[in-house]
Amino acid sequence: MSEAGLVCSHVRVTYPEFTLTLDLSIEQGELVSIIGPSGCGKSTSLQLITGLIPCEEGSISLNGKDITHMPVWERNIGMVFQDYALFPHLNVAQNIAYSLKLKKIRKNERTARVSRLLELVGLEGYGKRKISQLSGGERQRIALARALAAEPQMLLLDEPLSALDAKMRKRLRQQIRKIHEATGITTIYVTHDQEEALTISDRIVVMQEGRMEQFATPEEIYTHPSTLYAAKFMGEGTLLPHALIPQTLVSIDKGPETVVFRSSGESRQIFFRPERVIVHDNLALAFPEFLPHLRFNKARIINCEYQGGRYLLECDWNGHSILAYSRFRPKHEKVVLGVRVSDLIEYVDGIVVN
Amino acid sequence: MRQGKGSGTYGILDMSRFYHALSTPAVVLLTFLFLIPLSIILSKAFVGIDRGFSLERLASLVTDAYTWRILRFTLVQALVSTVVSVALGLPGAYVLATYRFGGKRIIKAICTIPFVLPSILVVLGFVIFYGNNGIVNNLLRMISGSEEPPLRILYTFGAVILAHAFYNFPIALGLISSFWEQLPSRYGQAAMTMGAKRFTVFRTVTLPRLVPAILSASTLIFLFCFSSFAIILVLGGGPRFTTLEVEIYRRARMTMDVEGAAALSLLSIAVTLLLVALHLWAQRAMAHQEEMESPGQRRMERRPESLLARIVLPLYALATALFVLGPLFGIIYRSMQVPVSRSGDTEFSLRWYRQLFGLEEVAGSAFSVAGSAIILSLIIAAVTACLSLLFATMLAARLRTQSGSKELTMELFAMLPMAVSSVVVGLGYYLVSNIFPGSRSLRTALVVLAHVVIASPFVLRSILPEFRKIPFSYTQASLTLGATVSQTFRKVELPLLRSAMATGAAFSFAISMGEINATLVLSDSNLVTIPIVMYRLIGSYNFAGACALGTVLIAVCAVVFAITESIHRSRYV
Repeated sequence: MSEAGLVCSHVRVTYPEFTLTLDLSIEQGELVSIIGPSGCGKSTSLQLITGLIPCEEGSISLNGKDITHMPVWERNIGMVFQDYALFPHLNVAQNIAYSLKLKKIRKNERTARVSRLLELVGLEGYGKRKISQLSGGERQRIALARALAAEPQMLLLDEPLSALDAKMRKRLRQQIRKIHEATGITTIYVTHDQEEALTISDRIVVMQEGRMEQFATPEEIYTHPSTLYAAKFMGEGTLLPHALIPQTLVSIDKGPETVVFRSSGESRQIFFRPERVIVHDNLALAFPEFLPHLRFNKARIINCEYQGGRYLLECDWNGHSILAYSRFRPKHEKVVLGVRVSDLIEYVDGIVVN
Repeated sequence: MRQGKGSGTYGILDMSRFYHALSTPAVVLLTFLFLIPLSIILSKAFVGIDRGFSLERLASLVTDAYTWRILRFTLVQALVSTVVSVALGLPGAYVLATYRFGGKRIIKAICTIPFVLPSILVVLGFVIFYGNNGIVNNLLRMISGSEEPPLRILYTFGAVILAHAFYNFPIALGLISSFWEQLPSRYGQAAMTMGAKRFTVFRTVTLPRLVPAILSASTLIFLFCFSSFAIILVLGGGPRFTTLEVEIYRRARMTMDVEGAAALSLLSIAVTLLLVALHLWAQRAMAHQEEMESPGQRRMERRPESLLARIVLPLYALATALFVLGPLFGIIYRSMQVPVSRSGDTEFSLRWYRQLFGLEEVAGSAFSVAGSAIILSLIIAAVTACLSLLFATMLAARLRTQSGSKELTMELFAMLPMAVSSVVVGLGYYLVSNIFPGSRSLRTALVVLAHVVIASPFVLRSILPEFRKIPFSYTQASLTLGATVSQTFRKVELPLLRSAMATGAAFSFAISMGEINATLVLSDSNLVTIPIVMYRLIGSYNFAGACALGTVLIAVCAVVFAITESIHRSRYV
C-alpha cells in the first residue's frame, strides 16, 4: 500500500469476553476522534496502533510502511496518556527531552527544541519545574509537548482532557485543535464526550463493543447516524414506531408528498432530535408549520427542565415519550408538537434506511 | 476502557523476554541457595540408623512426648506474646489514628524500630533494664530502700512474654494504626446519622473493617514469636522454657544429634509454612479491603479536647518511648560505666571502648575478639546488602508483570525463605559446611549466603510494592517515546525505585549486622560477628562489655534507621 496516513485493514484482537475489529483508513494530516462508552475498545485500538498490544490478525500501515509487527519503540507514534504518565523523577524539560536524548540529539539542539515545544503549548519558562508542581491542565500540555518532541509520524491522544474541569476542557481542546493545525500531524483523539468529538474532529468513529458503528464527518454523524446506537450516543432524540405516521401525518397544501408509508412490523422506527420539534401552546393560533409534518395533539408535559437559553420538555403522547426543545416555558399542561417529515430518520432493526 | 482488557495490559511485556531474562539468574540462584541446605536437612531427617531411607526418626519424634511439650510451649508462648502485643498496640493505634498531638511523630518512628533492631539487643536491653541489677530494680530499690531486687523477672515465662511484647507491640501499633488512618470516616459518620453512639460505631463499623489489619499484624507477630530464638535462649534460661528453634540449635550444636535437629526442623517448617500462608492470606484480605475503600475523605485527626486527654496522650507517647527506647538507652548508659567497688557502685569511663578499638590491652576473655568481629560483621553485611538487593530487584521486575494465580505462586515462592526460620536456614548451611570442613573463608561465605536467603524476602517486600505502584502508563509512555524495554527499565523504572532500593539495602544491611540465629548455628569459634560476641559476653556475665559492643550495633542500626526515615520523607509526590 502506498497510501499516506494510517491504514488498519481487518485488524482483529480477541479476548475471552471481547473482540475488537478495526478497519479504517485515516488520511495524512487528518484529526479523527474515536468515541464510545467505556469498555468499547477505544483505548485498545490506540494500543494496537502504537504496538503496545500485539496485532493478532490483519495489518497496520503508516504512511505506506507496514508496521504490523514493528516494536513500539521503532514506530515513532507519539501518545498522550489519560493520566499523562509524566515521569516524576524528571523535571519538565527532562521529560520533554526524553525521546531526544534516546535519539542522541546534541544538547544545544535539545534545549532549543524543548523551548520551542514549551512555546507551542504556551508554557514558556516551565522547563525547570517539577511534575508535582504542575496543575492538571499544565501536565496535559507538557504531556502533549513530550509526545510531539520526537516529531512523530502520528499522534494518539487517549482521553487527554477527561481529568480536567469543564472550563479547562473547552480551552484545551481549542488549543489541541490549533496545535494540530500548526503541526499538521495525523492525529487520533479518543474521548467519551460527544461535544468534544463534534467540535474537534475532521471525522469521527463511533465505537461499540469492539465494532465501528459509523465513520463519518461530525455533521453526518449527528444528522444522519447510520445506526440507532450512534444516534442515541451522539445526542438526545425521540424514537417512535413507524406505524404512527398515518394517524399523525399532516399535509396542508397538496405539495410534493415526501412520505411513502410502508406498512411494516415493529422493527421499523422513526427518530428525530429535540431541536427539530415545533412546540405550540396557544390553540387560538394556527400551527406554525406548512410543510408536511407529523402532528401530535394534546401531548402532556411530564417534565420541563430549564437548561439556560432553552427548555427541554419531556412529553407523553398516547403512551409515547417525546423530547422537545422549547424557547419558552409552555403556559398549559397540554401542548401540540410537530416535526417535519424531512427531519425524520428511519431505522429498520436499528439500521438507517436511505 | 481504562487499561486494556485483563491480559492485554501487560501484553507487550509478556512478549518481550527482557524481564524474564533479567530475573532468571535470581530465581535460579535463590532456588539453589535455599533448596540446597533445605534438601540436606530433609535427607538427614529421613536417614535411619542403618544409613538408609527411613521414616523411623520422624515417627519416633512425633510419638515422643518431649517433642509435643516443646511444640506446645512454643505455640503457647507465641500465642500469649501475640495477644499481649496486639492488646498493647490496639489502644495506641486508636490514639494514633484519631488524635493529633505532640510526640505522635516519635511514636510512629518508633514503630519501625523492631524491623531493624537485632534480637540480641532486645535481650541485652532487657537484662540491663529489668534484670536483678538492672536500672528499674535499682530505681525501685532506691525508692523502697530494700536490699533485695523487688522485681525478679529474669529467666521466667513472664520475661519471655515481656521481651516479645517489647519487641513486637510496635509492629502491631504501626501496622494497625496506618491502616486505621486510611479508613474513610464517612462510614462512621453515616452510622452516627442513623443514631449510633461513638462506641457502637466502633463495635459495628470500625472494628469489622479493622479485622484484616489486626489479623495481618497478629499472624506476623505470631510468626516472629514462634521462631524467636535469642530471646528464649538467654531469657528463657534453661530447658524449662525451650522452644522448637532453641531445641534445634541445642541438638545440632551441643548434643551433636544432627539428625534429630533435622527432623525437628521439618516440624518447624510445617508450622511456619502454615503461618506464612495465613499471613499472606490476611494481607490479601487487607489489600482487597483497601481497594474497596474508594479514596475519599480520610479520617480527620482531631486535637484532644478534654484536659484529661491532653495530659494522657503525651504521657502515653512518653511511656511508649520509654518502654521501647529505655532499654536501648540503658545499654548505651551501661557501656560507659565501670565498677569501682565490690558493692556495685560505678563511675563513668570509656574503658570498654578503648579495649574495643584496641587502644588498651584486654585481659583475655571473649572481649578480645570484639574488634575483629566488628570488621567481619561490616563486611558480611555489606556483601549481603549488595547481593540481596540485586536478587530482590530482579525478582520484583518479574513479579510486577505477572498477574493472577501465577503471580501468587511466584510471590509465595519468593516468600519461602520467610517460611523457613533462620535457625533452620543456619542448620542447613551448617550441614553444608560439614561437607567441606576446616575452611574459614568458606564458612564466612556460607554465613553471607544464609544472610542473603534471610534478608532477600525483606528487600523484596520493600521493593515490590513500590514497583507495583509505578503506573503501567509510565512504561508504555517510555516505549512510545522510542525507548526499548531495557532502556525503559534503566531510565524510568530503576530511578523511580531508587528510594525503595535504598530502603531495602539498608534493611538488609541491618538484618545481617544483627543476625544471630543462623550465624550462631553455623559459626565456629573462629568465626565471630558482633551478635555472637555479645551472646558470649552475656553468657559470661560481662554485661558492660556486651553493652559497648551493643552500642556499636545500635549506632549502625540508628544510621540505617535514619536513612530509611529520611528517604521515606523525600518521596516524589
